[in-house]
Amino acid sequence: MVNIARPIKILIAILGTDQHEVGALAISALLRDAGMEVIYSGRFNLPAGVVTSAVQEDVDVIGISAHSWEYLHYLDDIFTELTEAGACIPVVVGGSVVTQSDKAGMLAQGIAAAFGPRESASEIVAEIRRLVMPEGGKTQ
Amino acid sequence: MSDLTSYSGIPLEPFYAPEGEGEAPGSYPYTRGKRLPRPGQSWILRELSGEGTAECSNAQFKSLIAKGQQGLDVIGDSPTMAMLDPDHPHAEHAVGTQGVSLCCRADYEMLYRDLPLDSLSFSQSLPSVAAIGGLYLVATARGVAAEKLRGSAIQVALYEDDCCYSRHLPLALRTRLATDSIAFATEKMPKFHALLEDTYYFSESGLESVEEMALGFVELRFYIRALIERGIDVDAFAPRIGILLTCRMDLFEEIAKIRASRRLYARMMKEEFGARDARSMALTVTAHTSGLTMTAQQPVNNVARGGMQALAMALAGVQAMEVSTFDEAYRTPSAEAHLVGLRTQQIVQLETNVTKVADPLGGSYYVEALTDEMERRIAAEVVRIEAAGDIAELAEQGYFRRIFVNAMERLGRDLADGTLQRVGDTCHTVPEDEDRMLKDAAERKIEPCHEQIDRIRDFKCSRDQNRVKQALGALHDAARDESCNLMVSYIAALTADATVGETAGVLRQAYGQAYDPLAGLPSPLDG
Repeated sequence: MVNIARPIKILIAILGTDQHEVGALAISALLRDAGMEVIYSGRFNLPAGVVTSAVQEDVDVIGISAHSWEYLHYLDDIFTELTEAGACIPVVVGGSVVTQSDKAGMLAQGIAAAFGPRESASEIVAEIRRLVMPEGGKTQ
Repeated sequence: MSDLTSYSGIPLEPFYAPEGEGEAPGSYPYTRGKRLPRPGQSWILRELSGEGTAECSNAQFKSLIAKGQQGLDVIGDSPTMAMLDPDHPHAEHAVGTQGVSLCCRADYEMLYRDLPLDSLSFSQSLPSVAAIGGLYLVATARGVAAEKLRGSAIQVALYEDDCCYSRHLPLALRTRLATDSIAFATEKMPKFHALLEDTYYFSESGLESVEEMALGFVELRFYIRALIERGIDVDAFAPRIGILLTCRMDLFEEIAKIRASRRLYARMMKEEFGARDARSMALTVTAHTSGLTMTAQQPVNNVARGGMQALAMALAGVQAMEVSTFDEAYRTPSAEAHLVGLRTQQIVQLETNVTKVADPLGGSYYVEALTDEMERRIAAEVVRIEAAGDIAELAEQGYFRRIFVNAMERLGRDLADGTLQRVGDTCHTVPEDEDRMLKDAAERKIEPCHEQIDRIRDFKCSRDQNRVKQALGALHDAARDESCNLMVSYIAALTADATVGETAGVLRQAYGQAYDPLAGLPSPLDG
């Protein structure tokens, strides 16, 4: 039988004063094409706002899109806000500026997944599905 | 070897055309170039710079000039571009990381310290009121005549909210800031290009060339109409109009785009806007290698891309160029990337001989056909957009935003499905551990400049608060009066040590908006 699953819901946000949206909008389109529901919260976000929106929208994943290095400085605050909100939502980061050593550092910090310029769209989609549906399906 | 021979000694003409007929470079409609090359002269060589504090960026300028750069090209960091002061809650981790942090008079004084304001050309990717105001007040304080100031300021009123330069200003205010600053510079700084139409930054959303130039012309026409409407003679401001465009990897299309744009512009200025001065019809074109074409993978490949793009821009006959290379996917150029970009330009300029003959591709069946078709398509797209409604209303309704969003989504899909090939990225990849060449330099991070935040906090406490408040109040009142040019009170506010963030805030208030829509900071006028 097919699982009657709701689509995976993901919040896509850009932090601080980074205004480059090309990656955020491109990945939002690709995730929608893959059947996910994307809440696009755009530019000028700070950690508290991201976590509040994520909790209110009941998203499965928080996706941070990065075209500058500001995001690296905000991750600790995002985890603190999540803890304070009592929310357990995986956080993923993606962007062309994400390097291999950034990834290692962020994974140690508690990021669920990080995508640099090498990851293809299909790899990103598959990884997000794995995060939300570790056993191959998610039901309401 | 004489200047006008090939390497083997073959005599060269300044340009080639069918005998007794055909368009000459430097003559209407300027398809073949703004002017005939003068011996020993080429485009202005410059590299995009600005990093950390104004002091750090001033040192960067001097280093680039010592290496042969001929003009300065400065970009603000992301808070500066958003007109947010370094001590704003959103700015904390971005100060000085993607450009220079400039928020007050002292920053501008430091940025231009020891630089010859009357002979260098200053191209500024900064909020135009601050760029023009900052340069003007420093020159005035140093006793340099403003009439001698050269350079440019980008004007981004129509699309700034849709792309990377949102300042949370209403469109009516953005338009006024653009036209006021252009009107001010036309009168006080007649050599300065105060209307530089920047098609580069919004093309980075993934637009193709026809879309890029059509949107550029739509915005340019929007400004020209507004300036003429306020009674400024077209021949007073048009000689100093320029376009800063992008150069992608489809080289012939990019060359044809530039040739077509010059022709379209010349005809538009003469036939539609009634220009009589030939200088009002000859478009200044400056170009920047497209950041979107540069890959994070195998960064050294970007040096080859930059070389080809520089050659294309030289063949198209641009007035200035910037070549970003291997670290473009990660950061604003490092010192190493600056050197590669500058040397790339110098190699094209001094070794290839391509500058000796103007418009060397003119007459090529392919290039001429492509130029005609680009011209036809850009013109048709401008007509289509303008027929869709009032331009300001379209902008407010999100019409342009949808074009940019569609382009961003299209780019992602094109790269994902292989429609767009990028060597080292979508094909001919190498394993991560083998991708090391220039990688360390490309990935080297610029740390946020926290001392600038502290300095600005201290500066704000130590100013003559009454003087600041008075100047901001005067700026606010001037903004409420549609009949006055804001630049005078804007410069007076900077001179009185108000910051760019504060000026933006009181201008928002004058237009009925919140002083600080992002963090709810209190206005100095409300205290």
